[in-house]
Amino acid sequence: MAAFRITICVALSLLLLTSAGVAVQRTDSLKAGKAELQSAGALAFGPDGVLFVGDSMGGKIYALDTEDRTPSQATAVDVPGMSEKIAAMLGTTADQIQVNDVAVNPVSKKAYVSVSRGLGPTASAVIARIDSTGKIEALPLDNIKHASVNLPNPVNAGTGGRGGNARLQAITDLAFVDNRVFVAGLSNEEFSSTLRAIPFPFNQTDKGTSVEIWHGSHNRFETNSPIRTFLPYKVNNEQTILASYTCTPLVKIPVASLTAGAKVMGTTIAEFGAGNTPLDMISYSKAGQNFILMSNTNRGVMKFSAEGLEKFSPITSQVADKAGVPYETIASLTNVVQLDKFDAQRAVVVTRSGSSLDLKTVALP
Amino acid sequence: MTGLVARGVLAACLLLVVQSPAIRFDSGRNLFVLENWPGAAQVRPERGGDVLTVSVDSPNVPALLGQYRVENKSLVFAPQYPLQPGLSYRATAKIPGAPPITTVVRIPKPDVKPTTVVERVYPSTNVLPENQLKFYIHFSSPMARGFAYQHISLVDEKGARVDVPFLELGEELWDRDGKRFTLFFDPGRIKRGLLSQQELGIALQEGKRYSLVIDKGWKDAEGQPLAAEFRKTFRVGPADRTAVDLKSWTVRTPQSGTRSVLTITFPKPMDHAILQRELDVVNSAGAVVEGGISVGPEEKTWIFTPDAAWKKGSYRIRVGTATADLAGNMIDRPFEIDVFERVDQNLNRSTRSLEFRVD
Repeated sequence: MAAFRITICVALSLLLLTSAGVAVQRTDSLKAGKAELQSAGALAFGPDGVLFVGDSMGGKIYALDTEDRTPSQATAVDVPGMSEKIAAMLGTTADQIQVNDVAVNPVSKKAYVSVSRGLGPTASAVIARIDSTGKIEALPLDNIKHASVNLPNPVNAGTGGRGGNARLQAITDLAFVDNRVFVAGLSNEEFSSTLRAIPFPFNQTDKGTSVEIWHGSHNRFETNSPIRTFLPYKVNNEQTILASYTCTPLVKIPVASLTAGAKVMGTTIAEFGAGNTPLDMISYSKAGQNFILMSNTNRGVMKFSAEGLEKFSPITSQVADKAGVPYETIASLTNVVQLDKFDAQRAVVVTRSGSSLDLKTVALP
Repeated sequence: MTGLVARGVLAACLLLVVQSPAIRFDSGRNLFVLENWPGAAQVRPERGGDVLTVSVDSPNVPALLGQYRVENKSLVFAPQYPLQPGLSYRATAKIPGAPPITTVVRIPKPDVKPTTVVERVYPSTNVLPENQLKFYIHFSSPMARGFAYQHISLVDEKGARVDVPFLELGEELWDRDGKRFTLFFDPGRIKRGLLSQQELGIALQEGKRYSLVIDKGWKDAEGQPLAAEFRKTFRVGPADRTAVDLKSWTVRTPQSGTRSVLTITFPKPMDHAILQRELDVVNSAGAVVEGGISVGPEEKTWIFTPDAAWKKGSYRIRVGTATADLAGNMIDRPFEIDVFERVDQNLNRSTRSLEFRVD
């Protein structure tokens, strides 16, 4: 899910929904027309039903007005065989599409699914929307209020972008925090970590900041690695990014430190082991305790307490902090490939069953 | 007389059959056409789905996305996406007061022979450091996404598969053309001190031989498997944890008045893709010298051919600090920095220069 999973944003959305004037202002920058997405990957909801979409092939972030602002009390969205059904709507079979991300509109509770129709470089970008009855429809990208911003891509040191065509950033995660869209990406040439923050509404004069994140880890080796997924989270009232890396350390980074051109040191608070890549993270409260749920490629869905994350300090000595944040693996959640928050008690997951992907709502553990 | 009547009835019946509403698939234009129904002219395009729907011929699936229009008194459905060869589609017309009409259309699948191959893999050298960071796999045609890791394996000299050596990402790392795939080793198996390395050990061990194997089952963008398996066998040398040092590069300068090449020779193989973009040549006025780049054998040379003859004067080669070797060590910055020995508190991520003269 790449998703927008932040309480502050839910609160902001609801607040804005009650104020029509402000809501108009929020989507005012979006203009009707064809959204020329070359690909649809990471998704995140912002305020007022605005859906942010990472277009890795086009090197852009799109803001789409879903016009989906009607609050819903729905308690579930369940679609067995979701991949077959979406594929059929697109005139093909499930093995000819890719489901890239899922995000739940926190207001309407509809699930949005980014899909590639086709498997080659000319695959079409599709956003499917699924309501609580299981009805699937495609967002009409031919005529939708939208805006886009080019990713502030690093400029090649070489001349004229020679050889630069092969260089691409795969956008791995998005989130909307404090009026900025945070974007994590993976380069197909460099093993580096850049987190970008782009103000929304998008404008041409402020294309945002780009920050290198390093983590002092591995006992004594400082390194730079791509962020795979991240979660905006308040640690001790400080807005923080909890970032999980391809080599599975969990790192906290204060948002206030993310200033233009900065080299930022994240603090490693946990390491989750070998042969595994984190997929999605959501936060929630249960019985007065705060938790984070993280799905992974090979290690199932992990739950860990989000209490006291401020107590973890940067590694400054050679004394290894082997403990880190303790976690438990949720045995009832298996084969989870997508995860997003549905409401205070539930999550939406996409699970793989053979060649099929099912969408369902599950109770937060 | 009786014969004449019979022929007349038959003709009337045939006419009736011919004029009955029917669904026709126009394969030339990829359209489904409900024809011979006078009511078609009254159907508003946005309500076309009330009368004519087309779906993949499977149970419980939604109808295809597409557009309706009325054309020559027929109701026409144009699918939004091309129909898939080898798949069957069920078109159903529900005309008020008449039984539903259903037609199943199978789209023929042409018999195509596999032609796509792995053309080359970088690094091209057959000796890789123990902390090798990645491979670039170049294909002859665009490939399908989503299945890469099922078709790649690393086997040791006994033919046994190495357990999870590579970073497996949902966002497969392709170039825009879908012809170059970037395969990273799992950083947990390269970086020192990580839990992954303690659990599984390093992926490549010095002194041993391995093969990167790409099986034939990997499909191209047209759905065809590869024409042949690909195998790159290499030996593993010691880990390389030293930064790239410009002082160790040698520059062979060209002569003025010629378009002869400028060559940089590196003491170790470099990252093929990054070499293509991180180096350029500027003249004493700071203007970029236009020309073409090639990378020599084993990625140990960078060769620049100017578009115009060299003029006498001083030049410099601008080198981006992202220029990296096979283990991801960059200019003045190793892949991992020992935090207790580091001196680079203020990283300069711009460029370095190598100066030379053309006489």
